[in-house]
Amino acid sequence: MLLTGKSAQQTLLYLAFCIAILLVPLFLDDAFLLNKYSRYLVFAMLAVALSLSWGYAGILNLGQATTFGLGSYCMAMALKLGTVPVHTGSEGLPDFMVWNNVTELPWFWAPFHSTTFALVAGILVPATFAALLGWFMFRGRVTGVYAAIITLAAMVVVNLVIIDQQRFTGGFNGITDLAQFEVAGLSFDAYSSSTYYLVALCLSAVLFLSLAITRSKTGMILQAIRDQEDRVRFFGYDVALYKIFIFAVSAGIAGLAGMLYTIVMEFASPTFLGVPLSLSVVIWVAVGGRQSLLGAALGALIVTGVQGALSESETFLESWMLIMGGLFVLTVLFLPKGIAGAFEMLTARFQRQPAGQPATAAKPGGEAITHGEGA
Amino acid sequence: MELVVSQLLTGLSIASILMLVALGLAIIYGVTGVINLAHGEFVMLGAYCAWFLQTQLGLGLIASLVPIFIILALFGWIIEALVIRHLYARPLDTILATWGIGVMAQQAVRLTAGGELRYVEMPAALASSVNIFGATESAYRLFILGLALSLFALTWYIYRHTSFGLKLRAITQNRDIASSFGINSARVYRSTFAYGAGIAGLAGALVSPLKSVSPEMGTTYVVDAFMVVVLGGAQSLFGTVASSGILGELTGFLAFHSNDTIAKALVLLAIVILIRFRPQGLFSARVRS
Repeated sequence: MLLTGKSAQQTLLYLAFCIAILLVPLFLDDAFLLNKYSRYLVFAMLAVALSLSWGYAGILNLGQATTFGLGSYCMAMALKLGTVPVHTGSEGLPDFMVWNNVTELPWFWAPFHSTTFALVAGILVPATFAALLGWFMFRGRVTGVYAAIITLAAMVVVNLVIIDQQRFTGGFNGITDLAQFEVAGLSFDAYSSSTYYLVALCLSAVLFLSLAITRSKTGMILQAIRDQEDRVRFFGYDVALYKIFIFAVSAGIAGLAGMLYTIVMEFASPTFLGVPLSLSVVIWVAVGGRQSLLGAALGALIVTGVQGALSESETFLESWMLIMGGLFVLTVLFLPKGIAGAFEMLTARFQRQPAGQPATAAKPGGEAITHGEGA
Repeated sequence: MELVVSQLLTGLSIASILMLVALGLAIIYGVTGVINLAHGEFVMLGAYCAWFLQTQLGLGLIASLVPIFIILALFGWIIEALVIRHLYARPLDTILATWGIGVMAQQAVRLTAGGELRYVEMPAALASSVNIFGATESAYRLFILGLALSLFALTWYIYRHTSFGLKLRAITQNRDIASSFGINSARVYRSTFAYGAGIAGLAGALVSPLKSVSPEMGTTYVVDAFMVVVLGGAQSLFGTVASSGILGELTGFLAFHSNDTIAKALVLLAIVILIRFRPQGLFSARVRS
């Protein structure tokens, strides 16, 4: 099976992508651009996370930003405690706590003095949150639209609580004025190639980890659940357990993306777990192709890239959101499998093989609500 | 006594606005199964129509209600014809498409009317306040309550007692069989969508004097309205009224004892827990399984 099989081709494609993003700093010596591209790569990672749960398990998570934000806050708490005391007020307290008359470091802040703890928490806190939410939803056999609405509502709740608890979270302003991320003697300046490499390496690792999951037996069962949940249940599989698993993995990846985002942006804010970001992730994945991990990542890169370019140019400064919205509606209407789906169809036609399924075939997961049957 | 009545009135006032926004959403979702994330933007467009008619054409709020309903219904009609009708077989994709439409509507308004806050004046006749059992309530809020209830009654009448409503119910139960009996289901769907959009426009016009009008105002409404529909059960019009009543009173009560933010978070949490145990909603009777 020397690089001929379909899966070997796929592996090569993924490898080529990872090498390509790792080579970028060799040709680019602009700190500002590197920072911008690191941001796009973080978004790509977030898109991969959603593709795992939405494309492969049929769980439309409208609250993907919740877990992203949780990861981001974990990292911000650690970096805030790492700042020199001048910035952190008396006795090592973060400045916003001093302004809010907090006299003692809250118990849940204290462990974040340790970077290792923060790194573990940044992945485990979102994953646990998702596992609990997933246990709650999937054990009760909540599917389709209702699952989407629950994830959305859960995000609004977390967002409201973070904004309300200003004394402990910095409230509306978030956590700003952070130290540089340092680990194992290396320090990562947000405007340098080191941070870019960190993000690119993490994205490559996440891509291959996700690819491995989707190719494993678990991945196959998840795709079966996406297409015909009841049938898989009748075979005796614990459907809820599989869904909870992938939901938690997706959340852990989103948490990692959140941590990297804080390193790149040098702050954490409640907008990181807001409705606009969460819906943007859905757009990226839909445009790129929800059933392809690489497609989702490319979708994020393309959409955020175009968005960045349009919003900076004079002529489109005002109207880029209008264009994005229009493009998105057209994608949903004509390319339900996104760019990856269109690409697959083209290559199939190019190789003169019988084109498998037309791109407009009925969507899996689309039958989640059978309408008019009293739920 | 005074406190209790004033608490109840605050809750009712929140409930009436919730109901106005949720009614259109419930009709659209209940009949066509479309998750209309652009509903908040329909509300926003209604509010901007009210602002435009008042400042540019000098039309009072009450006089502009009918034109606003017609404009938004027309808008809904066009959206359905262009986009939604292609997506009835893919309900989850309607979430995505309608959200894209919402983004476009927001940006279009920002480009034409500007991003700054706009204010709509309350009708002078309703600017006073009324005394009920010692508690005072603004006449305008009572007017909204009355109008919300009459709109509900009208919708219920159409649903139960007209031939259009009969067709609607037939399609809701089984679209294919209804179509084979000669009901033009595509037309019924389009009318339903237009009607729902029109009601959303009315909701926007009515809340515009109470809150400032901005391109982003729709986002807050759409999540709340979804909660009402989910709580009440999509198939039940009475469920929508009852659940907006419950949510309104609950939000008012919790907000009095803590603050607005915590109240909202607690209410959302309660609904999430409820969906887990009763996904069909509180008031939805099981039609068929």
